[in-house]
Amino acid sequence: MFYREAGQFKSSYKEDQAVFPILQDRIGIAILLLVAFIGIPLFAGDYFVGAIMTPFLILALAAVGLNILTGYAGQISLGTGAFMAVGAFSAYKLATFSIALGGAEATLPLILTILLAGVVAALVGVMFGIPSLRIKGFYLAVATLAAQFFIEWLLVKVGWFTNYSPSGVITAPPLVVLGYEFHTPAEKYLFTLTFVVVMAMAAKNLVRSHIGRGWMAIRDMDIAAEIIGFRPLQTKLTAFAVSSFFCGVAGALWAFVHLGTVEPEAFGINRSFSILFMVIIGGMGSILGAFIGAAFITLLPIFLNNVPPMIGWNIGVDMVAHLEFMIFGVLIIFFLIVEPHGLARLWTIGKEKLRTWPFPY
Amino acid sequence: MGVHEIKPGDVLLAVEDISLSFGAVRAISDVSFDIRKGEVRAIIGPNGAGKTSMLNCINGFYHPQQGTITYKGQKRSAMKPYEAAAQGIARTFQNVALFKGMSTLDNIMTGRNLKMKSNLLTSMIWWGKAEKEELEHRRFVEDIIDFLEIEAIRKTPVGRLPYGLQKRVELGRALAAEPELLLLDEPMAGMNLEEKEDMCRFILDVNDEFGTTICLIEHDMGVVMDISDRVMVLDYGGKIGDGVPEEVRTNQNVIDAYLGGGH
Repeated sequence: MFYREAGQFKSSYKEDQAVFPILQDRIGIAILLLVAFIGIPLFAGDYFVGAIMTPFLILALAAVGLNILTGYAGQISLGTGAFMAVGAFSAYKLATFSIALGGAEATLPLILTILLAGVVAALVGVMFGIPSLRIKGFYLAVATLAAQFFIEWLLVKVGWFTNYSPSGVITAPPLVVLGYEFHTPAEKYLFTLTFVVVMAMAAKNLVRSHIGRGWMAIRDMDIAAEIIGFRPLQTKLTAFAVSSFFCGVAGALWAFVHLGTVEPEAFGINRSFSILFMVIIGGMGSILGAFIGAAFITLLPIFLNNVPPMIGWNIGVDMVAHLEFMIFGVLIIFFLIVEPHGLARLWTIGKEKLRTWPFPY
Repeated sequence: MGVHEIKPGDVLLAVEDISLSFGAVRAISDVSFDIRKGEVRAIIGPNGAGKTSMLNCINGFYHPQQGTITYKGQKRSAMKPYEAAAQGIARTFQNVALFKGMSTLDNIMTGRNLKMKSNLLTSMIWWGKAEKEELEHRRFVEDIIDFLEIEAIRKTPVGRLPYGLQKRVELGRALAAEPELLLLDEPMAGMNLEEKEDMCRFILDVNDEFGTTICLIEHDMGVVMDISDRVMVLDYGGKIGDGVPEEVRTNQNVIDAYLGGGH
């Protein structure tokens, strides 16, 4: 009823091309950002901020990355975990190098370290993206699966990556930006949030630019895309690079901000799958969908753990774990068959319906 | 380079003795023809005559085993389709080849991609250069949308559009590249009379207003004879007739090929 675009006329292409052309959307996103930046750190408990919101945001960032590759450019990847691992471990190596260079003080600013880790992940992503010119679909998925196993193996096998730590676990340096140390969960959350918001905006801008249209063109019909002038290899590799950059930054944040210590197993095949599920459930080809999917997948286990006891239904922990698998399985099949564009599409359809509600059309 | 200005009436593209075969199947054998700047050139022929293969050769999708293609006075070596696109050759497809997941506007915008220069970083930042560039091209694309009278469907995903409109959007996408040579592969296939008339009008207007050279494949003889300046007839990969519509209409070989007589 209140969600109407009637009367909101656009008098320039600039207004029409805006990310949120409808006033109500702009208000909604402003409220959401206010809550995320001010409300949650002020009023939410440490557990909620540190153990739910921060990992949610980081995984959402990885999901945005995978969505660029799979949802926009149409290249299936099962190597997300590996690219996150590359990000995490190269951030670690860069940080220790810079500490070694500057004595006790890190010479490389933290933010630059994280971004450079993303760049390293991007390069690795491009390397594993090269086969995408020749192979498609399932076969490409298998090729990226090789990346997943190879990188995980390499990080465990070669001591250099962990600075010869006997347990294979790396410990991140303290989070210091311009002399200020991010210490409490709320501070770490804000650090992550800033990163994620800026990068999600960048991703949104990218997918509505000519580069994003190139990705979608390759996804929808690669031969036609080539004939109207997109270079297939270049376009696909850009998608691999950008996607891996996002995953790499997410991995670095996961290691540095969320956990503080990390081992290669944290970025195993399960991580890759869970992020792929986020993209499928949230919505392929939608930045918003990555967030919805990440929220759904991180919140569902918490919901299952907390709600049944609340209503007096005591189910065991093992039961919850089984339920989780069953619900995810059913949902993934459901979305693949009924709504390949995921929750984000349902949200769009809902909005379209709201425009005319309560009238049928 | 020696690329001189090509005036209307000069040869824009010359195909000399090209042959194309897939294994033992000869799709095109020793065909020569030319396309002059500013004309509407039609290629007709029965099914399997090699018409689409010919277009595929022209825009670099197939590489003929023999013969040469000279475009704008320059002999072309084997080139990739995107290189042909960069030189000003655009095309539409027999089976609509739109990007189904994207809106009409975005589909037509993809036609502008070769003219868009902003890189990854400026596109991510958006404000400033990338936005300015995007808006410039949007303005151009809106002109095409106006020209093709598809304003109402600009934000509709093309997968939802009826066939006739999809063909129109595809023409728009090709026009967005401001091509010098526009290849149309059966632009009127599967259309009703009214849609065909619209499409004819668009083709003639494009030819007239933008001076775009057009090479089209079409099965509707009425349309072909009406709108084209010269017609080439292919049959079993060979050329059996070439000339102005009247000549072709009375050519005995062409009549035989179409009516199956005389063999």
